[in-house]
Amino acid sequence: MIKFHWKHIAIALAILPFVAVFVAWIGFFNIGASTGHWKITEWFLHLAMRSAVRTYSLAVEVPERLPIEGIQPAAGHFARGCAICHGAPGEPRSPSVLRMLPRPPDLAPVMGTWSDAELFRIVKYGVRFTGMPAWPTQERDDEVWAMVAFLRALPQMDAPTYRELAIGGEGGAAMPANDFETALADCARCHGRDGRGRSEHVPIISGQRQEYLRASLEAFAERKRPSGVMELAAVEADPRLFSDLARHFASQPPVSAPAAGSSDAARGREIAERGIPERKVPACLSCHGGAPRNPVYPKLDGQHASYLKTQLRLFAEGKRGGTPYAHLMEQTARSLEADDIEDLAAYFSSAK
Amino acid sequence: MAIAGALIWAAVIGTLIYATRERRRVQSEHAAGLLILWGGAIIPALLLGLLLGYALWLMPDIRPWSAPGEPAGLRIEVEGEQFWWRVRYHPADGPPVDAANEIRLPVGERVEFTLTSSDVIHSFWIPVLGGKMDMIPGRTNRLTLRAAKTGTYRGPCTEFCGTSHALMAFSVVVMEPDAFRDWLADEARPSPGAGAPGGELFIANGCPACHTVRGTEATGAVGPDLSHVGSRETLAAGIMPVDVEAIASFISKPDAIKPGAQMPAFGMLPEADIAAIAAYLEGLK
Repeated sequence: MIKFHWKHIAIALAILPFVAVFVAWIGFFNIGASTGHWKITEWFLHLAMRSAVRTYSLAVEVPERLPIEGIQPAAGHFARGCAICHGAPGEPRSPSVLRMLPRPPDLAPVMGTWSDAELFRIVKYGVRFTGMPAWPTQERDDEVWAMVAFLRALPQMDAPTYRELAIGGEGGAAMPANDFETALADCARCHGRDGRGRSEHVPIISGQRQEYLRASLEAFAERKRPSGVMELAAVEADPRLFSDLARHFASQPPVSAPAAGSSDAARGREIAERGIPERKVPACLSCHGGAPRNPVYPKLDGQHASYLKTQLRLFAEGKRGGTPYAHLMEQTARSLEADDIEDLAAYFSSAK
Repeated sequence: MAIAGALIWAAVIGTLIYATRERRRVQSEHAAGLLILWGGAIIPALLLGLLLGYALWLMPDIRPWSAPGEPAGLRIEVEGEQFWWRVRYHPADGPPVDAANEIRLPVGERVEFTLTSSDVIHSFWIPVLGGKMDMIPGRTNRLTLRAAKTGTYRGPCTEFCGTSHALMAFSVVVMEPDAFRDWLADEARPSPGAGAPGGELFIANGCPACHTVRGTEATGAVGPDLSHVGSRETLAAGIMPVDVEAIASFISKPDAIKPGAQMPAFGMLPEADIAAIAAYLEGLK
């Protein structure tokens, strides 16, 4: 009878990694996807994935209300980024996607098994070893929450509703967009051909300054302005089309956002015109005013209040990025308090 | 004062040498008592009394307020900011005049300074003219100085105030009273260069958000007043000469020249635009 000694165990443990590498090197283990996992492997991987998502989602701060006004642009992004693997209402998946391992789940039936925080966790960080990618930028959560809101609405969504949200009257999510008409149709899925935006979550770009629009498209394409939605959209259009797209939207008649809530627009106007010198807040209109200004400084008049607030918060956190001029806003945004941001957003959204 | 100090020092050292060199010869109790009385009480009391009298005689000049009936003179408000000096002249007979990073004084006149700070504690000191005084946020300190002769001096910040504390100074120009009044009147007026080319770039790029140039739509109050920046002795609070090259380099990378400066870098502007703005500012005499 062999008597095990602690020395033998130690030697066996030391050799084990080499054995493992050797076995892998022989290549006997079949990594083909055609036969699927063993049942026990599948059970174990699934257990590990669900448990990790559950545990890590404990740290996610869930907003009081899911941003349902973001469902439209999230649907637009879903059509381009997600539907190819997960399918969408009325859009069957390609047979090759169905042979992925693991197979990307049809989302509608499984939505009920995840909490909002868990969905956020999966959409933002992705899932290792499954092909589920992380959100294109880790810098901002507002877009991810909009996607969670869309996913919540997905199980009840019929095909016409989905098409209306994701594509509108346009031809579909084309990639890549190499000619102006295709690229414009792609923009129009969320922004509308007139640039007014098909939801409150989408900024109004009709009548915006052309130079600002062009520089912003470049910033998205070069990943200098974080946005999971726009980075994807911008890299899939030919950069030579940016000027034409910018010119198109700049030449649309400007519109005004619907008036925002109860904030003090008069105080916002005061800050916009005079700044708050004692807190070193300069006057917004020095750059964003009407007189001839550097055309790369955007117009803010009539913009959605919610969009303006999000941008100011991103600037304050140093996560907004944008054109080569974007850093000018960071110091200013940090000097603004929550009230100031509300009032400024109210003023600019109601300004003509 | 120096001579008196030298005499006292010599006497003390002399006594010390005498006490160590001389053979131990016991002094009578009477002689020792006399030495203590004169050397320890009467002479110091007399000297200190004289000094006190002299100081009291000087005091009316350095008191930080005007005597009843005395006409109020020039008051200069100086506010320390990271890392520059906001200066506002309050002449007795006229509206206040804003400037920055340089202080001009009429020779021989009492000038009252009101000193404060907008962010952290700074300290105001013109070494050739008098003592230093802290500038404390939320509090106004007062200091009165009288410059005895004309010239150009330097004043540093003398309380550590952040990364660019050592790069925070100002120039002091003491002028003949008439010349000073002419200068102040000029300072209150727009510079002849205010309408020069380059000004439209200064405005288009948003510089007026923080800076004032009198006579233009630039009325920002966050950063230094630039109305006559071209006529100042130094640029960027006492650290660079006022020339086009220095102004251009400060516009494109203020944080590299002055770490922690609040001004954002404008290096992304086209080089020609930076040069044009720098030339415009240099022309604001």
